[in-house]
Amino acid sequence: MSADVQLENIGVQFGEFVAVREASVTITGGEFFSFLGPSGCGKTTLLRTISGFQLPSTGRVLIDGQDMAGIGPNHRPTALIFQNLALFPLMTVWENISFALEVKGVGRTERRRRADELLEMVALPGQADKMVDELSGGQKQRVAVARALCAEPEVLLLDEPLSSLDLKLRQHMRTELRVIQQRAGITFIYITHDQGEALTMSDRVAVMRQGVIDQVADSTTVYDQPETAFVASFVGENNAFSGSVAEVSSESVLVETTLGIFSCRTSGSSSLSKGDAAIVFVRPESLFFVDDVGARNRLDATLVNQEFEGHFWHLLLKARDGHPMRMSVINDGRSSRQQTGSDVTVGFETNGAVALPSGELAAD
Amino acid sequence: MRSETILRLSIGFYILLFFGYLFGPLVIMSITAFNSSNFPAVSPWDCLSGEWFGVLVNDDKLMTGLRNSLFIGAGVVIVAVPMGLAGALLLTQLSRRARSVMYMVTISPILVPGVVLGISTLIFWERIDRVLLGTDFFYDGFFLTIIGQATFISAYTMLIFVARLQRFDPLLEEAALDLGASNMQAFRKILLPFLKPAVGSAAVLAFLASFENYNTTVFTIVSESTLTTILASKVRYGINPSISSLAVIIIGLTLFFAVVYELLRRRERSDKEKRLAETAKTNSMTRRHRPMMVPATALVLVAFVAMMGTSWVARGYSTSECKLRVAQEKHKRSEALSQQRISEARAQRAEEQAAKAESPALQANTEGRQYQNIFTPSNLAGQVDSVSSDSNGSSTEAAVDANKAGREYQNIFAPSNLSGQVDSKESSD
Amino acid sequence: MSVWFQNFFKRNGIGLSLFLLIAVFVWVVLMIVLPQLLMLDFSFRFNWHHMNPSKMGGPDDVYTLTHYKFLVYGSPNNPDPFNIVDVTVFFRTILAAIFVTMFDLALCYPIAYYLAQVAKGARARFLVVALIVPFWVNEILRAFAFRILFGEEGSLNSLLLAIGLLDEPVDFIRENVALYAGLGYAYVLLMIFPIYNAVESLDRNQIEAARDLGAGWFRIHRRIVMPFAKPGITSGCTMVFMLTAGALALPQIIGGPSSLWFTQIIYQWFNTGSNWPRGSAYAIVLLISCVVLLLFLMRLFKVRIGEIGR
Repeated sequence: MSADVQLENIGVQFGEFVAVREASVTITGGEFFSFLGPSGCGKTTLLRTISGFQLPSTGRVLIDGQDMAGIGPNHRPTALIFQNLALFPLMTVWENISFALEVKGVGRTERRRRADELLEMVALPGQADKMVDELSGGQKQRVAVARALCAEPEVLLLDEPLSSLDLKLRQHMRTELRVIQQRAGITFIYITHDQGEALTMSDRVAVMRQGVIDQVADSTTVYDQPETAFVASFVGENNAFSGSVAEVSSESVLVETTLGIFSCRTSGSSSLSKGDAAIVFVRPESLFFVDDVGARNRLDATLVNQEFEGHFWHLLLKARDGHPMRMSVINDGRSSRQQTGSDVTVGFETNGAVALPSGELAAD
Repeated sequence: MRSETILRLSIGFYILLFFGYLFGPLVIMSITAFNSSNFPAVSPWDCLSGEWFGVLVNDDKLMTGLRNSLFIGAGVVIVAVPMGLAGALLLTQLSRRARSVMYMVTISPILVPGVVLGISTLIFWERIDRVLLGTDFFYDGFFLTIIGQATFISAYTMLIFVARLQRFDPLLEEAALDLGASNMQAFRKILLPFLKPAVGSAAVLAFLASFENYNTTVFTIVSESTLTTILASKVRYGINPSISSLAVIIIGLTLFFAVVYELLRRRERSDKEKRLAETAKTNSMTRRHRPMMVPATALVLVAFVAMMGTSWVARGYSTSECKLRVAQEKHKRSEALSQQRISEARAQRAEEQAAKAESPALQANTEGRQYQNIFTPSNLAGQVDSVSSDSNGSSTEAAVDANKAGREYQNIFAPSNLSGQVDSKESSD
Repeated sequence: MSVWFQNFFKRNGIGLSLFLLIAVFVWVVLMIVLPQLLMLDFSFRFNWHHMNPSKMGGPDDVYTLTHYKFLVYGSPNNPDPFNIVDVTVFFRTILAAIFVTMFDLALCYPIAYYLAQVAKGARARFLVVALIVPFWVNEILRAFAFRILFGEEGSLNSLLLAIGLLDEPVDFIRENVALYAGLGYAYVLLMIFPIYNAVESLDRNQIEAARDLGAGWFRIHRRIVMPFAKPGITSGCTMVFMLTAGALALPQIIGGPSSLWFTQIIYQWFNTGSNWPRGSAYAIVLLISCVVLLLFLMRLFKVRIGEIGR
């Protein structure tokens, strides 16, 4: 059983401080939806508003079409997985998991049975009688998920659950969670500041900045077609060149910058007119050395540093005006290596660059 | 390096001295419990005897006091633990301003002198009786004492709960709510189990604090008694080693519980470590708890040796024989001494009669004090309150009269006498 | 205000809310505030309570300062300009309490420091237990132990006589040595633990850094440890001072005839004196003086009241 979640113009204010401003989004039932943004952008507040621990100053939360105003967290069809998991330290694993049933007065044998079932589903068989502090980080994660699932919610809310795990475990859990979600078939609302997580796990992503939702789209769209400068700079790595629009055509936009006039495509619904302040965004993987092939846009730079990351090289360049640039080259053994410190010319195609109205960039 | 060793030595010496100061009086008192002399003393040592334990048990007043103390202690636990818990819980739900005000108000009974608490409790409930009810319902030693003690003991329990609550993750309650629990369920299933260990220690603390309380109790106990008030009143009637035997019992119990508690805690620790070691599947370094084993085994050994030694000595030893012997010696000594004193006193009195006339008060005081000072060993035989002839045959009338006269002026506790207390030759009103 | 109540009841459910409110109300109002206020009120009334109960509540039951006056001036027949005895006793009690507090501080600070920073692991725990055990023994029994020790026939005298330091037994009790030794001993625990708690949370590295920079141990304590432990020290001193000034059992048991304690006078007004209002007045004076002194002390050392607490 999964439900739609609708946020209608949600605003949350603490005294003078506005945590969330006019957030509106519709999340479809059964979807894996993420709120992505840096710390302090309001995503936790939004989550707590959906789960009922926070009252919105304005707007409504509707779950399955029903207004949640006045309904407390213990009566909403939601279950929340806290950032620090909040597992009950004085109970065993199976008691933790079946707590939602204990609250309803279900008998002990039935609760135990259900807990064992859920442990199977989260791939933790046989751990039922352990105490919580005897488990590893990843195991605790799964217990938290199982506990929430036992409440049979229509919407599962996850508050940065993987942030305390090490890299390998995080990557493993990403897949696990996705699998569990598809198996359970319920709506997952996930918040994180790690865009890699958001992109790999979600059906759709909402990028948030200082209490405002900048863009809602699926992973590829958010990556390839950012709608604001913030989204372009926050999601993935991006080189940004400021300038002003010189010419607009149906297929491309010409932007004049200090490093040259670049031909870029536009993105999404943003409309640029001549003379607007704009930023040209070029992904590191869209840059290539011009010695090998020709390019629509080119600029000169000095190769400052090269870092080997395994399956690609991460290059740090400096343009004529000192502007730092990032470039990534696949390690296929083919492309010739440049000397660190040498002058190079790099280029990119129109399709490899996006021009967006000038705006706030993500902090480095 | 040498100065550091000196420093270490002096610190060690200081600590030794300190703990000597702490334990010394208790050790000495314990030893006096086994001395058959009538007054608790280590020397002169009369006979090894366990008779004072018997006297203790047969002391009805003391036993009643003990019973009352236990009853009141239980009552205080029943009142103070829930009150402290309520206070601690309420504190967490108040705004910052209200919280600090409430905190100050509830902590104040700890700082206020116990006598003030006792007095205010007494006056308050007596007034309620008189004004509202017109009966003696609340004017009862037990009720007043429980209430009076609970006033400040609840503050102690509250502090314990506050400390425990500070370690509670509030998200746990939220998680419970999120999973569908009502507020009451979250309280019962999540918060209370977490507080349980605190309840235990709060109850123990409340009981002990109540059991040993005197300042407040002495006002609120009215016509009843507790162990502490009985003990304190003994100072007026003279003390005997049965008090020391009480101390021995209490010290023994305390040590016993201290050891038990430590052993229990030790076992819980090693249990937990074992469990964690299994899960981690690594070679955990189970610290061998040797350091504490040494003093503990030493204690046991000492106790064992002491028991063996005592039973061996006791076999060739009879308390009654020894007492007879000692009594005879004492008798001889006191005879010689009192003869000496009588002749001295006669000479002195002749001197005094020759001097200027003194105020009767002064004379009576000085004479009476001679016989009143129970701290003078020779007077233990001379302490007389009634006319009788002692084994010497001499009449003790003079002593009795002097006593009576002196006491009139000596009782500084009678308010009218505060101005009448004379110690020197000034003329009074 | 009513909003708060609504939220409160909603948050805790009816049963729990009622329990919390009633329990705290009974405690704070019926047991703490009202009795104190009543005692204050009582201290300003004539002693009809004992002398003529029928007059209570009647027209003669007016406010009066007679008891407070008595404390200062004595009875109307008093030839002296002041109530020398009571006033002397009062000041002696306060002064003695101050000295005992300072003595305890000097005595306990090294121990607390040692426990908190120097002693390790099992030995520290053992010492802590060793510290607590004597205090589980009844205060009264401990007082008696001192009496046995310090009496004219007591062990201390026997020891000193045996060694040859004394020719005649000294009545320590009369000389008040016993009382002060006993008072110094009685509240040691309450001085040690707050200081111990405060010093324990001090980062040991700070001390090492200071030593590394060449500071001697005296300077280390004065400039680093003590300022850090100030709340603990103040807390300990507060408790010891209040308890010493308000001590009753110890003076009664091991006090000599010339070391009357103010609390004993209060007790007598209630007991043989049968003058409850006067006793209340004296008690109020004791209470107020202690509080005033304490506030002054806290202001002097710049410590807030919220920092006092275990």
